[in-house]
Amino acid sequence: MPSVCFYFQVHQPFRLKRYSFFDIGRDHFYEDDEKNRLILDKVSEKCYLKTNRKMLELINRHKGKFRISYSISGVAIEQFEKHRPDVLQSFVDLANTGCVEFISETYYHSLSFIYSKNEFRRQVEMHKAKIKQHFNQVPKVFRNTELIYNNEIASVVEKMGYKAILCEGVDRYLGERTPNFLYQPAGTLKIKAFLKNYRLSDDIAFRFSDRNWAEWPLQADTFASWVHKVAGNGEVVNLFMDYETFGEHQWEETGIFEFLDHLPMEIMKHKDFDFKTLSEAADMAKVRDIYDVPDYSSWADAERDLSAWLSNAMEKEAASRIYKLEEKVFSTMNPDLIEFWGKLQTSDHFYYMCTKFWSDGDVHKYFSPYDSPYDAYIYFMNVLADFETTLEEALQDVKPVKKATRKKVSTTES
Amino acid sequence: MTTPPILDELTSKADLPKILMLGWEFPPVINGGLGVACHDLCIALSKYANVTMIIPKSNPDFVVKNLNLIGLNTIDAKTLRNIGHTDTYKKVKQVHFIDTHLNPYYNGNASPHHDLQNLTSQYLKTVKVGDETAEVFQIDDLYGGDVIEKVTVFGKLAAKLALSLDFDVIHAHDWMTMIAGMEIKAKTGKPLVVHVHSLEVDRGGPQSKGWVYQVEKKGMEYADLLMPVSNFTGHIIHDYYQIPWSKIRPVHNGIRPVEPFKSVPMFKEKMVLFVGRLTRQKGPEYFVDIAERVLQKDQNVRFVMAGTGEYFNPLLERAAQRGIAHRFHLTGFLNLDKVRKLLSIADVYIMPSVSEPFGLSAVEAVQFGIPAVISKQSGVAEVLNGALKFDYWDINLAASYILNLLHDPVLVENVTHDAYKDLEIISWDHAAKKVIEGYNAFHLIPEMV
Repeated sequence: MPSVCFYFQVHQPFRLKRYSFFDIGRDHFYEDDEKNRLILDKVSEKCYLKTNRKMLELINRHKGKFRISYSISGVAIEQFEKHRPDVLQSFVDLANTGCVEFISETYYHSLSFIYSKNEFRRQVEMHKAKIKQHFNQVPKVFRNTELIYNNEIASVVEKMGYKAILCEGVDRYLGERTPNFLYQPAGTLKIKAFLKNYRLSDDIAFRFSDRNWAEWPLQADTFASWVHKVAGNGEVVNLFMDYETFGEHQWEETGIFEFLDHLPMEIMKHKDFDFKTLSEAADMAKVRDIYDVPDYSSWADAERDLSAWLSNAMEKEAASRIYKLEEKVFSTMNPDLIEFWGKLQTSDHFYYMCTKFWSDGDVHKYFSPYDSPYDAYIYFMNVLADFETTLEEALQDVKPVKKATRKKVSTTES
Repeated sequence: MTTPPILDELTSKADLPKILMLGWEFPPVINGGLGVACHDLCIALSKYANVTMIIPKSNPDFVVKNLNLIGLNTIDAKTLRNIGHTDTYKKVKQVHFIDTHLNPYYNGNASPHHDLQNLTSQYLKTVKVGDETAEVFQIDDLYGGDVIEKVTVFGKLAAKLALSLDFDVIHAHDWMTMIAGMEIKAKTGKPLVVHVHSLEVDRGGPQSKGWVYQVEKKGMEYADLLMPVSNFTGHIIHDYYQIPWSKIRPVHNGIRPVEPFKSVPMFKEKMVLFVGRLTRQKGPEYFVDIAERVLQKDQNVRFVMAGTGEYFNPLLERAAQRGIAHRFHLTGFLNLDKVRKLLSIADVYIMPSVSEPFGLSAVEAVQFGIPAVISKQSGVAEVLNGALKFDYWDINLAASYILNLLHDPVLVENVTHDAYKDLEIISWDHAAKKVIEGYNAFHLIPEMV
């Protein structure tokens, strides 16, 4: 009996302001509060509130048979806490139905796994606590930022106690196989991997409103008939996408909400199909084969690798510089510095610096709050320069205490 | 981009479209970038078309391969006078007349289609050729003196000459040849394409509405197709000359490849370079403001301005007033070799142009691997991804970009790396193909089977 596993990613970064070279040493407020607030409000109205209402309605209408999963980044939750408690409450309402699962990710929606396993674990724990706090659930399933994945991540996450992990179903690793089964990540014992069915997912997330697409306008019954083709050769249909697909990437006028309204019914018209949360599906289905991903994969861009964040010299420089500060940041024991250092790790900062003008540049441009990738890099590095100065000052304050302590010890010894 | 079939399939020159170009500046006589641009475009076009170019004066020693170059200074006016009475004229089927009302100041014969029998001009001079004498068009410099009369007489002579030539399309460059273009179109009925390298509105500001503006406006209205060197210039044509977008097709300039080199710096400070005429259009005074701002943060920078123009003295004064004269250098006019020498030691290139149809100098900097900080009010900003762009009045942002470049080798590496990729499409061959595509799209040349 194949199960449709809907998983939606909810994320909003703290965007940095246009922080020029002249601001270094003068201005210690780095975030573009106005823009962040503006975008949060816009997406809340166009997407989150509307779609959450629709999801709640669908869960009630189908008497609990419509079941879905979410991941909400820690930085998104923080922004809801501060500015849109109504949105947060609408997610809590969904959690209270018992039909909605919230899964784990890194608190800052970061690339931390690539640079520091300690920081990665810290952020996953932080995020877990946040989810428990608001939704009273302890996540059992993990997804890494933008489905960044390889065998090693699966191993580390398994040791952290998760029973399943999400990843992209990448053709170059799947070969002829289908993403519609659970797989065993190479080198692991128990953890199960859900592979995104990118064809069906992207039909909704990217192609839905494309008037040049042969299938436009896509109707729920047509899409359901494609899902039904999995019968006999699959146990899970993993439809993973950004939650902002509904109402923000695909505007209301495209008919995306009507599509969503009819979809559960159309899918369940086939008696063999149902909806499951990720944990439920992980418990029911068995792994059918090994999925071996030695190099990093992700769900981003045509390349589906790390190139959306780490392909040019600027991105690599910015990322490596931020992670070099880890030890210093923690030795200050200053919660503000530790917190801001975390926020600087948010992957969006690097995404905006991407210069793949000739392929996926358009998508990066669409999301970027800046005029160019160079601006993204320049503002980030200027902020970092100021942050480093503040950090050094904080360390000066910390060090004398340490020295004094050491001296004391030596005097007592002598 | 689709390549017209002629580009690949036809080898015989006889089958190629025939272009009659009208130029003003042309090597070896050049004042600015226009002559070089016309020359290089013609060379590139000669692969895809038969090109005849009429210019005010040619040098018999300067021969361009595959280009039929005619300097009016080499043609006897008597010959031209007779053209109208030969069979050539009768062969020209479509002859229609328009009244162009171009020239309120020109006191010669106002009709554009009058014969040359009574034409007199200070620029028609009798010269000795062997034992005989000939009357020829002769101007010493292209822009001095009575330039209105120069371009008008050029137009009349070129129009007469055109009657003896075989061509499909007229391709005029800028206002100096627009009168010629209009006269030829009026006499032959052949379609007129106007290539716009620079406009009076760029040079003199939006309030410029003088004679040159009127010539440009009439010329562009009468043309069948306009090819500005950028979308930026296309917008100016649309906004300030009220020409419909439907006949505007931008063709970005190309550039000749160079062999870049590096030299030993002349001083220990970093160097920020400006190359261009010191006129309003190039925004040189913003460069002083930007320099002052940069020096507030970093004293180890020198600012060099290569070029001359009416702003030379005011700029000197401005730099002195701001107290940055010790870091600010005006070189005056420099020849190409010296400019390249500067490019070989510069750390950052800046182009704060107020209104720049294209901005080839920024591409030259890119060829030398220098990161370019350029104003958004330029055509080159449309084709250079690898550049930092600012609104010309935003001196804080420009100064900030310069400081970031001076302090961050990774940024420099990334910007110059991307700019090198851009160079692949900034070529004259690419531009020539675009020109032919434009002719085809507007059905200005016979369809090639």
